Amino acid sequence: MRRSPGSPAHWPRHVIMIVVCFLMLVPFYWVIKTSLTGENIYAWPPRIIPVDPHLFNYVDVWYMIPFARYLLNSVIVTAMAIAGSLLFNVAAGYALTRHFPGRRWIVVLLLSCMLIPFQATIIPAYLVTSWLGVLDTWLGVALPLLSTIICIFIFKASFEAVPPSLIDAARVDGLGEWRIVTRILLPLSKSAIATNVILTFIWSWNSFLWPLIAIRSPDMQTLPLGLARFLSVMEDTTGALFAFVVLVLIPGLAIFLMAQKEFIRGLTSGATKG
Amino acid sequence: MTWFRRKRTRELALVVCFLLPSLAIFFLYRLLPLGWNAWLSVHAWSPLKAAQFIGVEHYEEMLLDDDMFWQALVNTLVFIACSPLAIAAALGIALLVNSDLRGAAVYRTIVFLSYPLMTVAVGIIWRWLYDERGGFFNYVLRSSGIVDQPVKFLQSFDWALPCVILADFWQVLGFYMIILLTGLQSIPQHLYEAARVDGVPASARFFRITLPLLRPSIFLCIVVGILNSFTSFDLVYVMTNGGPGHATELLITYIYKAGFGQTRFDYAAALTVVQFLLLVVLTVIANKLSGGNAGSLERQ
Amino acid sequence: MRWRALAHRFVAVPLALLAIAVAWNIYIAFNDHGIIEGEVRDKAGAPVVGATVIFFERNFIYYEEKQRATTDAQGIYRFTDMKTHIGQLEARTADGRKSERRQLRLWFRSQDTEVAPLIVETPRA
Repeated sequence: MRRSPGSPAHWPRHVIMIVVCFLMLVPFYWVIKTSLTGENIYAWPPRIIPVDPHLFNYVDVWYMIPFARYLLNSVIVTAMAIAGSLLFNVAAGYALTRHFPGRRWIVVLLLSCMLIPFQATIIPAYLVTSWLGVLDTWLGVALPLLSTIICIFIFKASFEAVPPSLIDAARVDGLGEWRIVTRILLPLSKSAIATNVILTFIWSWNSFLWPLIAIRSPDMQTLPLGLARFLSVMEDTTGALFAFVVLVLIPGLAIFLMAQKEFIRGLTSGATKG
Repeated sequence: MTWFRRKRTRELALVVCFLLPSLAIFFLYRLLPLGWNAWLSVHAWSPLKAAQFIGVEHYEEMLLDDDMFWQALVNTLVFIACSPLAIAAALGIALLVNSDLRGAAVYRTIVFLSYPLMTVAVGIIWRWLYDERGGFFNYVLRSSGIVDQPVKFLQSFDWALPCVILADFWQVLGFYMIILLTGLQSIPQHLYEAARVDGVPASARFFRITLPLLRPSIFLCIVVGILNSFTSFDLVYVMTNGGPGHATELLITYIYKAGFGQTRFDYAAALTVVQFLLLVVLTVIANKLSGGNAGSLERQ
Repeated sequence: MRWRALAHRFVAVPLALLAIAVAWNIYIAFNDHGIIEGEVRDKAGAPVVGATVIFFERNFIYYEEKQRATTDAQGIYRFTDMKTHIGQLEARTADGRKSERRQLRLWFRSQDTEVAPLIVETPRA
């Protein structure tokens, strides 16, 4: 006995969900409002709607800090992480579809590696990176993200769904292994690629602890570091800090809204695997 | 025969070439650090000094004379212990959104919206919401007459930790909801139909069907909650930096401070070992409680 | 089909952003001589000749005098090469009349700007 949508018994649920959504959106509103406020943001009582809204806080933040430089660092690190992780994960995912001695052992190893949170490795990871000589470089920041276990398994599952006869036919036609991957498997795994790109983007763009450790010089800082630094240097000034926050959040939100399905699929695919 | 062996060798070479980069990174950034942490934790070492074996001295120091460690440990446990609250809230939302509600997708998106955000930015947003002059909470409390003096939430020893936890809830709530939704959608509908035919009341349907079958998803949520005590470094760093005093110090922030503030890498490694063991023990307990069929894990 | 739409979005949005950024930078390149000009008038609306206009640049939290200019026979002043995006303008005449301090916010550093006329009047005692 399903009730049709919109029937009277649904409205209490709508009310609850609207209240929940309102509460979830308040922080967004508060920060956007503050970033547009022209008057003193510490005035009491705070205005719900700014009296004199303008966008100049965004201009200020561009010049108050080397915003362009932070943005460049973030973009380069993220691009390196995406390109590298795509290459390595595709290769590893393909290798795991083949039968070879010790395959099971490697799968178990990877699955157990998934249990180790990166945050629990920061001290040795720092030492390893300094030993490799890539501290304070873009590569050093991107390196730990270059390969992600979830994505390897997503690719493995996606490749296994391709009919083997297709691969065999290609092999008979004399295509090399890498060509089989790029010409036949990848065009059939676009959703896996999207998941990999989006997850790596979010992780790399938002990552804070690792750049905080791996980066020393001011002009190598990424956006999250710049944000934390801006906060500590001039927290009591204007709405510029909040303009910075909004600017930094926009790319992540945009990517998420554009590819919600792939993003959620990627996050939960770890969950659905037995 | 030789042809066959050559093919096998080629196949193996291919697999090795394809797997090597990933395995190298896992080795360098997962396995090696694990062992290195354990090794460092029983040695006295600094970048300028040769390593010297000292046994369990670091652990002795930690357990016997380090009040900050205990404080951080308690805070981390409180942090983890609060996550069932968020999971319960998320379960409620998931049940509401899972039904044939019109606009469920919009609600779902809005609740999930805060998850992919940069945690540093989330910290700054919440720090501002808690601000005693321009903040939202003080605005609501003061204009509705509940308090007449502004409350300095993040400077208060009593309030700082709950405030940070609430900010964390706001961010992960959507993720819990998604995990639980995936679990709810995998429950076969015919079980509910059968129960309805037999006249089982709604509450019993929830406790007899939904909750038992959701166990793996709930377990996953709990693991995410435990891992959250690691990933909340960004939040704490920006909102309070462990203050006031050490009221919001978590193990992970203490590890960072010990390692990179005081350059005591060896001691920080010992702290990491303790934290990792805590993670493993709690995960095993949660797995036992949820019936033993653990899903695989999600990173970050 | 769904994938094609996604590819479309994923290509279209970055391209659109890139196009906006390029267009914006081209616009900036043609309009960043740092010229700030405007007119000084008296209360009756007549141009004031020989008035001094002072530009105050914001220095973190306070405003600091940066540069001065004098109005010509048409009452027009002109600053060149002002490398700033935020400041205040004030006109003063030799006989002690002053204008209010006009807040000036620009969209980018050294944007060429035409300021609305500054009106000088005798300050109240």
